[in-house]
Amino acid sequence: MAVATLPHGAAAAHGDHGEVDQLYVETRALRLQGFLLFLVSDCVLFSSFIFAYLYMRNSGQGWPPAGINHLDVAFAAVNSVVLFGSGATMHYALENWKHNNFGKYAFFMIATIILGAMFLAGQAYEYTNLYFKEHVSWAGSGIFGAGFFTLTGMHGFHVTVGVIYLTVLFLQSVHGVYTKDKYFGLTAGTLYWHFVDVIWVALFSIFYLI
Amino acid sequence: MDISNIERIIAIAGGIIVAIVSAIALKNDWKTPGLDNQIFKLMLALLFIGAVIALLAGAHVLGNFPAAKGA
Amino acid sequence: MSTTAEHAGGIAGHIHPEPQGFIRRYVFSIDHKIIGIQYLITGFVFLVLAGLLAEIIRTQLLHANGGFVSNDVYNEVYSIHGSAMVWLVVIPIVTGAFGNIIMPLQIGARDVAFPWLNMLSFWIFPVAGLMLFSSFLMGAPVAGWTEYPPMSLLGGPGTSMWAAAIFLVGVSSTLTGINFVVTMFQMRAPGMTFTRMPLFCWAQLATAPLLMIATTALAAALAALFMERQFGVPFFDPTKGGSPIMWQHMFWFYSHPAVYIMVLPMFGAISEIIPTFARKPIFGYKMIAFSSMAIALAGFMVWAHHMFTSGLAPYLQLPFMILTFTIAIPTGVKFFSWVATLWGGKIHYTSSMMFALAFVALFTFGGLTGVFLAAVPFDLHVHGTYWIVGHFHYVLVGGSLTGIFASTYFWFPKFAGRMLNETLGKIHFWLFFIGVNMTFLPQHWLGSLGMPRRVPEYDPQFQTWNDVSSIGSYIMTLGILVFFVNVLVSMRNGKKAPPNPWGARTLEWQIPSPPHYYNFKHIPTVFGLPYDFSQPLPYKGLEEELTDSPVHAGAH
Repeated sequence: MAVATLPHGAAAAHGDHGEVDQLYVETRALRLQGFLLFLVSDCVLFSSFIFAYLYMRNSGQGWPPAGINHLDVAFAAVNSVVLFGSGATMHYALENWKHNNFGKYAFFMIATIILGAMFLAGQAYEYTNLYFKEHVSWAGSGIFGAGFFTLTGMHGFHVTVGVIYLTVLFLQSVHGVYTKDKYFGLTAGTLYWHFVDVIWVALFSIFYLI
Repeated sequence: MDISNIERIIAIAGGIIVAIVSAIALKNDWKTPGLDNQIFKLMLALLFIGAVIALLAGAHVLGNFPAAKGA
Repeated sequence: MSTTAEHAGGIAGHIHPEPQGFIRRYVFSIDHKIIGIQYLITGFVFLVLAGLLAEIIRTQLLHANGGFVSNDVYNEVYSIHGSAMVWLVVIPIVTGAFGNIIMPLQIGARDVAFPWLNMLSFWIFPVAGLMLFSSFLMGAPVAGWTEYPPMSLLGGPGTSMWAAAIFLVGVSSTLTGINFVVTMFQMRAPGMTFTRMPLFCWAQLATAPLLMIATTALAAALAALFMERQFGVPFFDPTKGGSPIMWQHMFWFYSHPAVYIMVLPMFGAISEIIPTFARKPIFGYKMIAFSSMAIALAGFMVWAHHMFTSGLAPYLQLPFMILTFTIAIPTGVKFFSWVATLWGGKIHYTSSMMFALAFVALFTFGGLTGVFLAAVPFDLHVHGTYWIVGHFHYVLVGGSLTGIFASTYFWFPKFAGRMLNETLGKIHFWLFFIGVNMTFLPQHWLGSLGMPRRVPEYDPQFQTWNDVSSIGSYIMTLGILVFFVNVLVSMRNGKKAPPNPWGARTLEWQIPSPPHYYNFKHIPTVFGLPYDFSQPLPYKGLEEELTDSPVHAGAH
């Protein structure tokens, strides 16, 4: 059976790869758990701000606040679809890496990076519109501005980090850092990118839909 | 045609594509073992929900806040 | 994926080359024992600094008209005293220091899961500590360690520095929590199931998720405070639509679990010390282990009991009151288990054991006053008075700090390789024990008579008990001074420590003192609980630990 088609680590667990692979299998489990716990604590950070925003919204001066009624839902929906689409392409990038299909992997990975960058550009466009046309700002628009710009800004920061992270991962994979059964870095990158997408599901619903 | 209507059409079309793709990916991955794959499945399910939400927002079903602008 | 000794290629067999040179070995070390000692030393340095601030407070309160420092300085002093004691002394010592030194040894691991991350966690901490103290230079925060807005929005520029410093300590704690959870889930020695894990590790396992989750919530609150102060983003200022109550929610959502972060690891340490010196199996091993988990879980559901006077809706007061009462149940399980362990035991009154017994007594007192406080009618009466101060100092000084001293006397021979002086230890104990009670017991009386906390001057009728309290605090400080003398003298001239001076049975005592950098020559196999004092040791594979034979596992 070709090793390439085995799921990660399965070959190593059988012991036919020798000492280093046993170490890899065990450290991979450590790194996976550690990375997931990091994402959990990051999720708590977002949740705290979401809680704060909803709390203020429900205890403040009434909702929706006066003077802020120009969120462009249609544009945000397109932008969200771009980000969610990048989640799907990231998933297929990892799938193709697992199946040792480098060409398709590279295609989907680059697509993910481009879609992520498109999302950021869209967010920048939206910020500019809000700031210059609607005069909604971070510090000057009450709790809406505080909540909206803090949370979407935090998320945008995560997307920026994610785009850089994925670019680095892609360059690493081009330079042969990862092999067909040792690619935890790519798994972690996928997890991170999915996390960023899923956070946006929550933020999109909170700010544009309810 | 208003730019906002074009955006809504793109959102609906993209939402359908992403929802279908993530549903297929979820179905293909359904039986994979391992902690990372379980998380991936959860994430794909949420991605599916997100795509549906974006699609509904594009279709005027959801997101009629703010009241002043909707419809 | 269990790590077995046979898989010499796995983590169990993987030994990093011993670091060479002073810097790599003792400064930027990735060895969990060295990092733990670094945490301990740094924590004790901050204990001295924050203790001096406490003495400034008590000296100011010697006289009803104050006069030792100006009122503004007084505000800064108690704010930094509280913040430093909580975030720079107790939390780093109970988790970072003892968790790091002892936990990997007790589960039979060579190191924590992420040694480099561990080093990063440590080095963030002294930097954050210096930032916190440097806020004195630019106008320190004046709203107490809780920094309630709007007062914290009005404080000097140092308040932003305070927020940044605590944020960094929080990052350090979060990373430590992640590291510990993964270590305990993945790196236990073969045969060490969760139900065979020593209770100190169980306590750390209950604490680590709190570090990981609760601290992040605090980070959000601090970031919001920082943004509001520096950029005017309206989170807490009610005139711009924010809500000062929201800070209290976010802060206490962290800070109530933080109470358990500060005391749960010490519950674990006491659960090790008491059976060792009573020479008796711990009573109710599983109940103690699970009660730690129950306390950690319940700790997330009670935060609003700090806010009964903040305008909390009355229908919320009752559930928070009842939930808070329920925390007394798992805590009570622990205390009865300790007392039952002592019952009929052959008690050895070493310094460590005396501190452990003092812990049981003092924490029971602090815990019971905590139950009082959970009752809404009583809380309304004493909220914001010295009664509160007395209560939480019984928990933190009588609980956490006493536990820290008990653990230091217990484990110092293991990590330093020298015995601490028992005579000085006894002197330390009596001075400290008398000092603690003399300082904090009268504060309950002052509080119920109506003396508010955080005041630089007070009504002359409170003079007597304030004087008693201040004199008590000097006695306590003298005791801690004796402790530092003891540590400094014993580090150089103490008796060389045998591998197992106390006859304890957990894994860390079965290897030399101090342990080698690789901890175990062979990762042992475990087949039982470490507390059955009449039985042979439940470990296999430790025969060569105390001999001169070289390490077995293949070094990379």
